[in-house]
Amino acid sequence: MGLNTYTKSSEAFARALGVIPGGIYGHQGPAEGCYIPSEAFPRFSARAEGTYFWDLDGNRFVDYMCGYGPNVLGYGDKDVNAAALDQLKIEDCVTIPSVKMIEFAELLVDTVACADWAFFCKNGGDTTTLAIMTARAHTRRKKVVFVNGYYHGVAMWAQKLDYPGVLPEDVANNLYVGWNDIPGLERVLAQNDGEVAAFISTPYMHGNFVDNELPAPGYWHKVRELCDKHGVVLIIDDVRAGFRLDLAGSDHHYGFKADLICFCKAIANGWNVSALCGQEHLKSTVAGLTYTGSYWMSAVPFAAGIACLEKLKAIGGPEEFAAKGLAVTGKLREAAADAGFNLVVSGEPALFYLRLADDDSLMLHQEWVAECVKRGVFLTNHHNHFINHALTDKDIDFTAEVAAEAFQAVRERHPL
Amino acid sequence: MQEDATTLAYLNLHAVLGAIENLTALVPAARRLATTAKPVSVGFAVRGGPAGTLAFDQGLATFRPGAQGCDVKLPFSSPAKLNAMVDGKGTAIPSRGLTKISFLTKQFVPLTGLLEQYLRPAPEALADPEFFKASTEVMFYVIAAALSQVANHDQVGRFSADHTVDGDIDFGVAGGPRATIRVRGHRFETVKEPCASPRAVMEFESLGLARQLFDGEVVALACIGTGQIAMRGMISMLDNLNRILDRVAVYLG
Repeated sequence: MGLNTYTKSSEAFARALGVIPGGIYGHQGPAEGCYIPSEAFPRFSARAEGTYFWDLDGNRFVDYMCGYGPNVLGYGDKDVNAAALDQLKIEDCVTIPSVKMIEFAELLVDTVACADWAFFCKNGGDTTTLAIMTARAHTRRKKVVFVNGYYHGVAMWAQKLDYPGVLPEDVANNLYVGWNDIPGLERVLAQNDGEVAAFISTPYMHGNFVDNELPAPGYWHKVRELCDKHGVVLIIDDVRAGFRLDLAGSDHHYGFKADLICFCKAIANGWNVSALCGQEHLKSTVAGLTYTGSYWMSAVPFAAGIACLEKLKAIGGPEEFAAKGLAVTGKLREAAADAGFNLVVSGEPALFYLRLADDDSLMLHQEWVAECVKRGVFLTNHHNHFINHALTDKDIDFTAEVAAEAFQAVRERHPL
Repeated sequence: MQEDATTLAYLNLHAVLGAIENLTALVPAARRLATTAKPVSVGFAVRGGPAGTLAFDQGLATFRPGAQGCDVKLPFSSPAKLNAMVDGKGTAIPSRGLTKISFLTKQFVPLTGLLEQYLRPAPEALADPEFFKASTEVMFYVIAAALSQVANHDQVGRFSADHTVDGDIDFGVAGGPRATIRVRGHRFETVKEPCASPRAVMEFESLGLARQLFDGEVVALACIGTGQIAMRGMISMLDNLNRILDRVAVYLG
């Protein structure tokens, strides 16, 4: 199996450095994206289709990051794109909204268990910020409880005290508890009784650099009970996991009902729209907020979102993703064991997280991921992965073949 | 957020004055200034702040925490007083070891003056490759030591330290100086020696790049992207280290 080279990607990155801070900023950049070693990873894509993308040098990758989530049906899914392009012929960003907005909201209300209404934005962070504003406006309280290791976007309230450009005042009302830590949550809510507006959390802990953790039995029921007892709005950040675990929402998947739930990523297969959904008692509060954006009512992404959710329903998306996730991680584990490595798989199969447990530094894991990427399977060493509908059994077999060769390459450098 | 006087005092003592040990190891002129007929030690004791001792023997200095058993003791009534002395705006009067006053005035004070030349070099001085190398290496050790002081004492640094897992970080320059940043129970300790068993590695590709970073001409995150800074291992540790590094710049800037 040949190893990728990235001459054109490197040239493009050098060009980007001249005009873009850091060349590529944020989570797709080589620093936040943990490109270790840097030279093992491509920088710019040339095209994408199905479960693959091709970089500037023509290297093809089976993509387990799916654009960090949005690619849920396959890049360029024909049904979603047809709906979007049909709508584009009619109208998109106009002075008053299209009824597509109502249709999409009705579909979400019909689909998502806790949803009595939907409010559309563009990014996941738009919806988490709206959720926090809603909770504060509704409760007239300031404080918000976060789960350690959280990521809820990049708005000032969601940043951390030690991040550059963040003031202590920006995060002064943030309280923290551990994942699955009911006694800790009880303590924080009791100590701040009458002051906490919201508890915000992902449906399970899918943080970076650590094994992902599912909710302990009874955890969410107890959280719901505590939020009700203390008058706290329960916000589920389902931006990452939403529609991959359960089309009715990840709160439904785990057997409880959120007050507010945030969706983005898988909602429209890459067309840019996000949604905050919530229960009836918060609807008038949201209606009273000053919160909008130039493109938030564009019709094309609504049409794409409708087509995406309808297709996910038709194919039984979450069940398929779980099955494919189990299939691929099972084969990866086998390949690891064959080379004498212990590959730990955690989190939900549809969003599996990987870690080689043979050292405590992740260095072996980083070496293995780099070897996979160089052979055409795009994994990351720090983040959960994503399954999409276009991934085939043949792709999974190819992944296993690449993984085995990559494990062998690492084993040769680190003999038993 | 601005720096606080107590953290600055810890940094000034452990990182800045502590770098005299590196200066004497790297710079012959410093060794000559530090040479004494008999070993002599200078203790610094700050009320409500740090304590440390610089011990001089055969031209080489070593720094250790605590001011017990020193030959000359310099007491400071507050962290601000030590900071003023390091900033050249105040003096210290020994409470013990008055017979060693001549060492303080004739050797120690000129030595701190030499240290300042290496830490705040004139641009033309950096044109000399030998000076550039020594100056950057001394600066490296100042920053390596400062990381732990900021992590342990600064409010924002503490926040980063509280989120840092245990382990040793190999912090260094390729083919140049290296230090171990040891994290145990969210407390940081800098050991000015290469790391034997790192859980994370952060390596600058050259002394030149290190100099640019120390001078604020380039940003670490961008250099990671270009591969000029290599990182591997437990990246969450380096993420926090980078945030503490940002805070170090606030104190040393």
